[in-house]
Amino acid sequence: MGRSATILWALAGLAALVAPAVVDERQVFVLMSVLVLAVFATSFNILLGYTGLVSFAHAAYYGIGAYTVALLAFHFGASPLAGLVLAPFVAAAAAFVTGLVAFRATRLYFALLTLALGQLFFLIAFQWRSVTQGDDGIHGIVLPPFLDPTTTRYYFVLALAAAALVAMGLIMRSPFGATLRAIRENRDRTGFLGIKVSRYELASFTLGGGFAGYAGAMYAIFDRQAFPQLLEWTTSAEPIYVTLIGGLSSFAGPVVGAVVFGLLEDWITRNTEYWRALLGVVLLLIILFLPGGIVEGVKRLVALATGRRLQKGPSAGDVELEEPEAQVSTAGRAS
Amino acid sequence: MDAQAFLLQLLTGLSRAAILFIVAAGLSLVFGALRIVNVAHGSFFMVGAFVAATIMRSVEGLAGLLLAIVAAAAVVAALATFVEVAVLRRLYASEHLLQLLGTFAFVLVFADLVQFFWGAQPRRVVQPEPVGGSVAFGGIIFPKYSLFLIGVALLLALVLWALMTRTSLGRDIRAAVSDPEMLRMVGVDVSLLFTVVFALGGALAAIGGVLVAPQSTARLGMDIDIIVESFAVVIIGGLGSLVGTAIGALLVGLTFTFGIYFYPEAALGIVFVVLIAVLMWRPHGLYGVPER
Repeated sequence: MGRSATILWALAGLAALVAPAVVDERQVFVLMSVLVLAVFATSFNILLGYTGLVSFAHAAYYGIGAYTVALLAFHFGASPLAGLVLAPFVAAAAAFVTGLVAFRATRLYFALLTLALGQLFFLIAFQWRSVTQGDDGIHGIVLPPFLDPTTTRYYFVLALAAAALVAMGLIMRSPFGATLRAIRENRDRTGFLGIKVSRYELASFTLGGGFAGYAGAMYAIFDRQAFPQLLEWTTSAEPIYVTLIGGLSSFAGPVVGAVVFGLLEDWITRNTEYWRALLGVVLLLIILFLPGGIVEGVKRLVALATGRRLQKGPSAGDVELEEPEAQVSTAGRAS
Repeated sequence: MDAQAFLLQLLTGLSRAAILFIVAAGLSLVFGALRIVNVAHGSFFMVGAFVAATIMRSVEGLAGLLLAIVAAAAVVAALATFVEVAVLRRLYASEHLLQLLGTFAFVLVFADLVQFFWGAQPRRVVQPEPVGGSVAFGGIIFPKYSLFLIGVALLLALVLWALMTRTSLGRDIRAAVSDPEMLRMVGVDVSLLFTVVFALGGALAAIGGVLVAPQSTARLGMDIDIIVESFAVVIIGGLGSLVGTAIGALLVGLTFTFGIYFYPEAALGIVFVVLIAVLMWRPHGLYGVPER
């Protein structure tokens, strides 16, 4: 990480730590949903930003994580913490199996196939009443007493989010992460190097699914419920536009996007009935005028203010300062 | 299942397939030429249904239906032209994801616009007199409207086939499918062509919406339902192929209808299983070609 990035992360962490002291209880719940969304979106960016895969099944793994917590508590009276430990593995297993099917196809057909696979999981949650309670969902999951006070629960969720973000950050900076980026930049050439691209893609898909399941478990714990819509494909679109708002060419992008999106959504839904239209317009503006998202916009502003040119070459091993142009040009060729 | 029930289900399945074909043909046409998967196609379908609800309440009978078809097609073609010129045109050079998201943003916008203009309540549409009610053949009673839908779909298939093979517009579209660069070089205004194709695709979705309204209702959420099913149709058939779309529509329509009859909870699930099986066997759909 660059020095300025370290400072920004530290400031964000500090803000997250002191937040419960300055906001009211309802807003603490909004912040918890932002934390969950940040982990969910970052897990998605492992596929999208790092490996160049567009999946519409990601909400399925998120929902599976939430249901792992909810079903264990509902049917066996297990502690949600046990569910939290299991959730990433259950979701990763589901992602691995669906990945085996979905990677039969490539690119666009891959994306559409994941849509069908994800909807299958949604339908199972929706229709299998005897197990999942169907459309009603499972509500009122009983938490361990120490998580009952909202503030404690907030710090618990914050710790979970921080742990996941650090873990994903480390994995993406490892040689494994570098290989994924190579695949995104040029799938064919990476293959010529003797790297088994399809295995890495499946590994990336499984890993992202696992962390999505973890995010889902976080959700089930903070909101104490699970319901079928968590798995629906429209939920899969959420990390996509969160990532887009923040910027998909950097590790911080989805986190920034989650904060902006979460707070904006809360504000807009309280002030107008027509929040979807507003969100749509915001998305269109970003797609048209700032495809690198907020992170790139800020970088441009900083470059403008300090009079320095925007750093063009990717700095060695640095996840933060990747060349945004490369993203666009790669993708342009893929069409 | 006796013969009567079987024939009735078959007819219901075929009329479902008819609507799916009309809508998915537009999706497939747009993808073939523009290489864009238009998620907002379902929104065009929904707008069509609501326009029909408004018009057919004041104008009765077949005249109302015809007027609704013309009006819905015109309204949606105008909306589609705006979407293409204002947004999509700027995204042809960027990645699939941005194009997909650009159209998805319009799903959000159109959903709220429809709610703003027509409210959140579903609108019932009366089946116009000459094609409403039922007709008996050999002791078996069939709903007339289902037969009418099948007829309209066949007619539209014929019109589309003639358009694609017998007109200069169709020739240009087919050329754009295989090589838009070359087409530009021989002097065809490809930008204008893309706008026309996108508007035409949208109009097909709107016509589908008008036709479905008297059978079910015009309601919010129908945009998402139809787009998921249409995706299934074009993926099975292969994006960009009209013949594939027809076969995909038949497969999805019949699977869904008979699925509902035998396993009501799992009907849509069975459709997805069929879809996954087809893609495992042919990764580009039945009639699709690998992406260029």
